[in-house]
Amino acid sequence: MQTTFPRLMLTHAAERPTAPALREKEYGIWQTTTWSDLARLVQSVACGLHQAGLQRGEHLIVVGSNRPRLYATMLAAQSLGAIPVPLYQDAAAAECVFPITNAEVRFAVVEDQEQVDKMLEVREQCPQLTHIFYDDPRGLRKYIEDGLGSLEELIAAGGVFAQQHPQFFSEEVAKAQYTDVAAMFFTSGTTGNPKGVVHTHSSLIDRADAGAEFDKLTSAEDVLAYMPPAWIGQNIFSYAQWLVCGYVVNCPESAATVTIDLKEIGPTYYFAPPRVFEGMLTSVMIRMEDAGSFKRKLFHYFMGVAKKVGPALMDGQSVGLKDRLSYALGNLMVYGPLRNNMGFSRVRVAYTAGEAIGPDLFTFFRSIGVNIKQLYGSTETAVFVCLQPDNEARADTVGVPCKGVEIKVADNGEIMVKSPGLLKGYYKNQKATDEVLTADGWYHTSDAGFIDSHGHLKIIDRVKDVGRIQGGANDGAMFAPKYVENKLKFFPHIKEVVAYGDQREKVCVMINIDFDAVGNWAERRNLPYAGYTDLAQKPEVYQLVKECVEKVNADLAEDSMLAGSQVSRFLILHKELDADDGELTRTNKVRRGFIADKYKPLVDGLYEGRTEQFIETVVKFEDGRTGSVSATLKISDAKTFTPVKAAA
Amino acid sequence: MAFFLEALLGGLMAGMLYALVALGFVLIYKASGVFNFAQGAMVLFAALAMARFSEWIPGWLGLEDKFLGNLLAFALSASVMFVLAWLIERLVLRHLVNQEGVTLLMATLGITYFLDGLGQTIFGSDIYKIDVGMPKDPVFLLDSIFPGGVLVNLEDVYAACIAALLVVVLSLFFQKTSTGRALRAVADDHQAAQSIGIPLNRIWVIVWFVAGITALVAGIIWGSKMGVQFSLTTVALRALPVIILGGLTSVPGAIIGGLIIGVGEKLSEVYLGPYVGGGIEIWFAYVLALVFLLFRPQGLFGEKIIDRV
Amino acid sequence: MTKKIGDVILDVSNISLRFGGVKALTDISFNVREHEVRAIIGPNGAGKSSMLNCINGVYQPQEGSITFRGQKFDHMNSRQVAEMGIARTFQNLALFKGMSVIDNIMTGRNLRIKSNLFMQALRLGPAQREEEEHREFVEHIIDFLEIQAFRKTPVGQLPYGLQKRVDLGRALAMEPQVLLLDEPMAGMNMEEKQDMCRFILDVNDEFGSTIVLIEHDMGVVMDISDRVVVLDYGKKIGDGTPEEVRNNEEVISAYLGTSH
Repeated sequence: MQTTFPRLMLTHAAERPTAPALREKEYGIWQTTTWSDLARLVQSVACGLHQAGLQRGEHLIVVGSNRPRLYATMLAAQSLGAIPVPLYQDAAAAECVFPITNAEVRFAVVEDQEQVDKMLEVREQCPQLTHIFYDDPRGLRKYIEDGLGSLEELIAAGGVFAQQHPQFFSEEVAKAQYTDVAAMFFTSGTTGNPKGVVHTHSSLIDRADAGAEFDKLTSAEDVLAYMPPAWIGQNIFSYAQWLVCGYVVNCPESAATVTIDLKEIGPTYYFAPPRVFEGMLTSVMIRMEDAGSFKRKLFHYFMGVAKKVGPALMDGQSVGLKDRLSYALGNLMVYGPLRNNMGFSRVRVAYTAGEAIGPDLFTFFRSIGVNIKQLYGSTETAVFVCLQPDNEARADTVGVPCKGVEIKVADNGEIMVKSPGLLKGYYKNQKATDEVLTADGWYHTSDAGFIDSHGHLKIIDRVKDVGRIQGGANDGAMFAPKYVENKLKFFPHIKEVVAYGDQREKVCVMINIDFDAVGNWAERRNLPYAGYTDLAQKPEVYQLVKECVEKVNADLAEDSMLAGSQVSRFLILHKELDADDGELTRTNKVRRGFIADKYKPLVDGLYEGRTEQFIETVVKFEDGRTGSVSATLKISDAKTFTPVKAAA
Repeated sequence: MAFFLEALLGGLMAGMLYALVALGFVLIYKASGVFNFAQGAMVLFAALAMARFSEWIPGWLGLEDKFLGNLLAFALSASVMFVLAWLIERLVLRHLVNQEGVTLLMATLGITYFLDGLGQTIFGSDIYKIDVGMPKDPVFLLDSIFPGGVLVNLEDVYAACIAALLVVVLSLFFQKTSTGRALRAVADDHQAAQSIGIPLNRIWVIVWFVAGITALVAGIIWGSKMGVQFSLTTVALRALPVIILGGLTSVPGAIIGGLIIGVGEKLSEVYLGPYVGGGIEIWFAYVLALVFLLFRPQGLFGEKIIDRV
Repeated sequence: MTKKIGDVILDVSNISLRFGGVKALTDISFNVREHEVRAIIGPNGAGKSSMLNCINGVYQPQEGSITFRGQKFDHMNSRQVAEMGIARTFQNLALFKGMSVIDNIMTGRNLRIKSNLFMQALRLGPAQREEEEHREFVEHIIDFLEIQAFRKTPVGQLPYGLQKRVDLGRALAMEPQVLLLDEPMAGMNMEEKQDMCRFILDVNDEFGSTIVLIEHDMGVVMDISDRVVVLDYGKKIGDGTPEEVRNNEEVISAYLGTSH
């Protein structure tokens, strides 16, 4: 498709002017913006931004959650040939400084007072940030800072301008080429400064189209947009594909109402990282534990049926009449209400990506009739590289290459991708660009993996993270930290794991328990606890976690490649790893190196065979103040198993 | 099977009427914390008013149309119940705000005697008829499915429907209107309600009026079945086990409690009666209530009473 | 950031309140100007709550007078005070625990409902329209207080901090000219306190309400108040801007003297 986003929007407005484009729940009612409303809104915002001095090719940051007027702002910027750069709304002010400086940003369009305060703070270091517009005026009436204005006024002024210059907007839209840069996404990266990934209209639209074709998406889809718009996943699903397909994007009322809104909307197309699905499963399980015994028995009985029959039905295999009947009964009494409760009663395709998903979690959703599938991609590939076809969804692979994609595996095991959706480059960072893009157009994913016998891609770990055990019983064995971490994280009681083992003689891990799940578990056993730290250090909790670790070890022992990655020792951390403390990336991935430095005494304690270790750490509160937390943590051994040698 | 259904239907219909009377108790208890001993007297009083007005009005106005006469009589009786509610608030409740529960109970006992006397003074003490045109004929239902069909008294069907309708209307009124919301607010915490400007006095009048209307409807139904006479006050006694079962503070409890008692009575009479010599209908409800008092004193839906130290 | 502070709206002069022989308040005078945030602080037992209850009409002071917009109020009960446009929140939450958040806040509109019982019962057009208008107003409050996720939740099931917000919401629903907040931050953690401060300032901004709040925690109050009255043992020992009060010898000694 040789077109641009603003042109796609105008096409929808011309062909289906009264069809809904966006819905936003406000004051308890879903308010609809039609495509023609949207076109008018975008025109006004574009004219307003033009009057304010936004230039072609200039970058503009958009900071906030999924709000119709922020979406309109991105379209407006693209209409003028400017480049919208969505930033994570929960990023601290300091984290915004680099992108703003890097892209010489003068314009910011933000959601509310919280973001305005952040921008004003940033402005002390980035004086070029002269124009700040906000969507929600709440609490901002008395701000008199220079260059601060409401989007409302900008739209009003733009509307007047548009009337005086009726041709201006369409002329500007016509100037843009599909090869022009459409947007830039900053990837958080585990080390160093973030990098701006530059995408053209063509790369984003091509991938959005390939994904839409793969799943036969139409303009009748309903999507709920609730992940940060700065994440390429959300951007592709609720922006690029929205404009390509012309479906409806629904914006939740607030972050807290997402589960309620999800139920009300009942999306047909859904995308979320595994942790969201996990949260849903956890809340279902907790509710079931609290339910009456009849209800609980009914649930467990039919979940048994679902586990046996559901996945086969999903994969289109034939199932015996008796099983089919009991599944139908279960559907009536359990699965249907459950799907409805989670907002999945209408869902046709649900994707999970970003991280590996636990097999139990994956099977749970498929067995109750939710067509959950995996895909593989990244910011640099505009998401769609591999997708799982409807009948071939597996928990341990990520699907087959989709339209236009070529894949090869390099000698070091790295996956290489060639696709029309590849990034144009990293912004002002030729060195980094050259590192990932070869001269003949291959992109280094930095993921290690292989194509299995069914043609599906399987990912093991990051190439650079795959290490070797050195010394000890498993000398030279392969160590895949993320693989181990994920296997542990698949247990509902474990929230986060950091594994160490490269260049060491054994594998040790630090674990974060899931406060809700373990708290609940403890309450059920009448185990009193005073808070997170106290709960984490309970001997009973250590025993619980130890069982998980040993199950993983038993599992790993059967894998000929990764048997050496079994966990010998572990400890449970006294605080939750947090992005605000730099321990996680903004997308909630653990920063292994950073954590190893920060908790060096703990890592040493693990390897030096101590049974407990004192640690003191600095924490940052949400308001920016800092404090310190200290505790003495227990360290526990775990049983390992002799590798099962593959007989064949 | 047909026999069982007959008993079941009969029980459900009787239960609906118990529920209606129980509702009167629950409404007043929730809104003003008063256990209204006078509910039975209100039923009799309302029924007497209805019986006599429907007799007198056609005479006063020279009306021929019986329906219109009944309608006017109903309106007038309702107004009387309103005046009664207003008087009770003015003369009794207002002066007893924040008194002990026992004091209030005693006050309602006084109201009971007062109403009994007043009703008979104004309206006379004979047995009167209420004829609101309820059909008296029995019908057979479902005779295509069961041989002989299910024998149902059409009057009972009408009565149960009217009672059910009133319950639905009342719950809509409570859930969907602002006055209903204010009533619930007062029921929840009357001091807080007052501080945000909800007038307690007005709410009490409304609650007593609504309870009066339920008494009126119950009185009409029972009165048309068995004549308006002093024994109507005992209908209220039948509702006591219902509220013990359903919980004194729960509207759905009153309804479900009523149905359980109605059905339980009929079924036990039919199936256990022959073994114990009959008459179960008379004491069944009280025994059930006793069992509940022993094992679940707050009733099925009532608020759990927890003593905090 | 500037703020328009208007004329005196509430004037308290020479109030004395006794319970039997115990003097709760002695000769207290201060005033509240329109659109300001006025704090009454003091150690526990200083008479703050008594003062608030006098303004609210719960207590009738034996001496002195309270004038609201030039109108003196004598022997008014709390409902009449509410009708005049003075709303309050409660230190020990007095919400309707069994009712939903929406219903709780809607009860705050009760004074403004004009349709009568029969119009409502019959669901006549004007009554329905009125109900919708009130609902819309309440939805704005819900949005403002960021409690959209709990509209239908019975208030008794909400955590304490959120209940406090519902309490504030119900008071706001009365569209009061003066809002009395009784220890709005009591029992909250630091983060909840900061949220509450933000809400109070925003209420003052967005709704233009005049706010009188009492609090024993001096720190939080100083940041958000325009003027502060300090009470100790039922007597006024300081009155002025936070800065003035902070430097007042008597205030310092009262606070130091009582913080064991």
